[in-house]
Amino acid sequence: MVVLRDGMCPGLSEELVVALRAADITTGTWVLINLFTLVNLASRCGNALLAIRRVLLAQHTAFPVSGADLYEDLLSSTAILSTGNPSLDKLLDSGLYTGELTELAGGPGSGKTQVCFGVAVNISYQLKQSVIYVDSTGGLSASRLLQMLQAKSCNIEEQMEALQRIQVFPVFDIFSLLGCLHHFRCVGLQQASAGGGSVKAVIVDSVSAVISPILGGKQNEGMSMMTQVAGLLKTIAKDFNVAVLVTNTVTRDGNGQLKAGLGQTWSHVPRIRILLQRLERPGSTCSSVRTATLAKSSRQPCHLKEEFDLQCWGRSEEQLYGMSGKRKHTEPS
Amino acid sequence: MQRDISSYAIAPSVKVKLLNAGFLSAADLCDLRPLQLSKEACISQEEAVEVLQAVRCESGQERAAAGRLTALELLGREQELGTIVTFCSALDMALGGGMPVGKTTEVCGAPGVGKTQLCIQLSVDAQIPVCFGGLGGKSLYIDTEGSFLVQRAVDLAQAAVDHCGLLAEDSEQQEALKGFTVETILSNLFLVRCHDYVELLAETYLLPDFLAQHPGVRLVVIDSIAFSFRHDFEDLSQRTRLLNGLAQRLIQMATNHNVAVILTNQMTTKVWSGQSKLVPALGESWGHAATQRLILHWEGTHRLASLYKSPSQREATVPYQITGQGFRDAPPSDQPKASDDPSVRQSGSLSKRPRTEEDQSTRT
Repeated sequence: MVVLRDGMCPGLSEELVVALRAADITTGTWVLINLFTLVNLASRCGNALLAIRRVLLAQHTAFPVSGADLYEDLLSSTAILSTGNPSLDKLLDSGLYTGELTELAGGPGSGKTQVCFGVAVNISYQLKQSVIYVDSTGGLSASRLLQMLQAKSCNIEEQMEALQRIQVFPVFDIFSLLGCLHHFRCVGLQQASAGGGSVKAVIVDSVSAVISPILGGKQNEGMSMMTQVAGLLKTIAKDFNVAVLVTNTVTRDGNGQLKAGLGQTWSHVPRIRILLQRLERPGSTCSSVRTATLAKSSRQPCHLKEEFDLQCWGRSEEQLYGMSGKRKHTEPS
Repeated sequence: MQRDISSYAIAPSVKVKLLNAGFLSAADLCDLRPLQLSKEACISQEEAVEVLQAVRCESGQERAAAGRLTALELLGREQELGTIVTFCSALDMALGGGMPVGKTTEVCGAPGVGKTQLCIQLSVDAQIPVCFGGLGGKSLYIDTEGSFLVQRAVDLAQAAVDHCGLLAEDSEQQEALKGFTVETILSNLFLVRCHDYVELLAETYLLPDFLAQHPGVRLVVIDSIAFSFRHDFEDLSQRTRLLNGLAQRLIQMATNHNVAVILTNQMTTKVWSGQSKLVPALGESWGHAATQRLILHWEGTHRLASLYKSPSQREATVPYQITGQGFRDAPPSDQPKASDDPSVRQSGSLSKRPRTEEDQSTRT
């Protein structure tokens, strides 16, 4: 809430501000909350104080919306973005929903960054919309994106266009991440990204890399910054109608079960959570098959499991659907 | 839109004083002068100047937008940066040409499997002249275990010079060979010795300045990160925090200064439900720190290198050996199992033509 200055609202003159400061009232929050003390003061400062309170209330209240309006709004503005992988789409109830935060959690090498690449390529090539990719681990490899695009189309111009629709923002610490997200919120996603088409997804890979160094120990600001990041991501998702995808690490809880990192507070932030794991098959050590488990969802029952191949984004449509259940032994051209 | 003061990079004690004085968002500070601010918030004038600089209304947004680029521009930059060869062509092929510049790579392995040998080999290979397909850069070697031996570096440097000498075809390469001798290799190899984790952390804070002063450095090797952090650290959560912060600083440095960062890690045994397995040390959360992870391990008497985690390359396991001349391919006669790797190309990976897109693309 803002510091009281003269001219902020009609009736708030300089003398009134000085008088309020003398009574130790400096911010608007105070004026809104303490009604009884206000009434006592009003006898001294005149009814201007109560008028100011009314103005502040009008400026800062949120207005209730009826359920029907909300439903209409939702139907017209929500879009479902396919991830490009049919098994993942099944888990996500046909794809990433705009206006929501989805989280991918997994250990090292479990495929989170590959899924993010696949989603970005699918949105920029198939749906011809822009994607904003906030990279905090240095894991973005444009040559891999090109490889995935080359499998989808042989036309070099289309590939270059699709690459241009993916905007990359490298951020390596929490302050740059907060600055970047504030920039999106103030300036709007259209201006933040330059490529053609509207922005449909914001991918943050990974959110735990910048937040985990500031949590715990003698630092007392970590939780507040984490909550600020959460608030900004949710506001961006809602206001700009984009799907937000974040990646996170995993830890083990008391029973040895996998759960997403960053603690209890962050666990409430995403709407959908998917846990990725490698398959421990005794025969092959190098395999690109992963299992995805639905850990938190508002639309589907939890603990649904699907297996998928990380290489499916690197293959064209015919190879994907013409294989009819055969494992990948043929080398795609 | 008002941005909270708590989201700026200001010292916590100053933030508390600002909040107590009633300044909650950047808009409150926009039109104040340092003297006014220091009086109202009871902070010193220098602190007031710093706060106003950090909070100045447009600068944060410009900084956030400044680093952005499209994936197409990123592709061009990646292809320009190149890779550092390891002289083991199978490993180079699995890595997509060699160790990538601008990313962090972690090399894990049991004692004696060849991590330090690989690091010394890479410090020499980073200096191979551009006309031979190398980067022509300098190397920085941060040694925490004391395992860097100059005599071994001399052997490897001599072998690299001889190899290039055999490859030299035309006058440009002969000219470059004159500047590529054992003496120049050793003089372009900067060595830092850190004895504990405090020295190592201090060194990483000083590295950006060092890299700005020596723009020719293309490789930073830290051998090893595990050693300083595994010994007498009571507070494991503090260790995780320090390591995560260190990883972020290293990747920031790798991206901003275009260097390849190689970290060496040790192995530890994980025991669960009656089974035991060798896993990289420093915990599961450290696994996310490096962009790429290479695990070196034994298979009987053979040495194998597995690419465990990579954003752009497929997982693969390749054999290698350590010879008197350094890190090389394993002889084709005794390859235990080359899974996912059909053929091992024995031709020299150094040639005169610059690396083109066909070289860099991998088979899926």
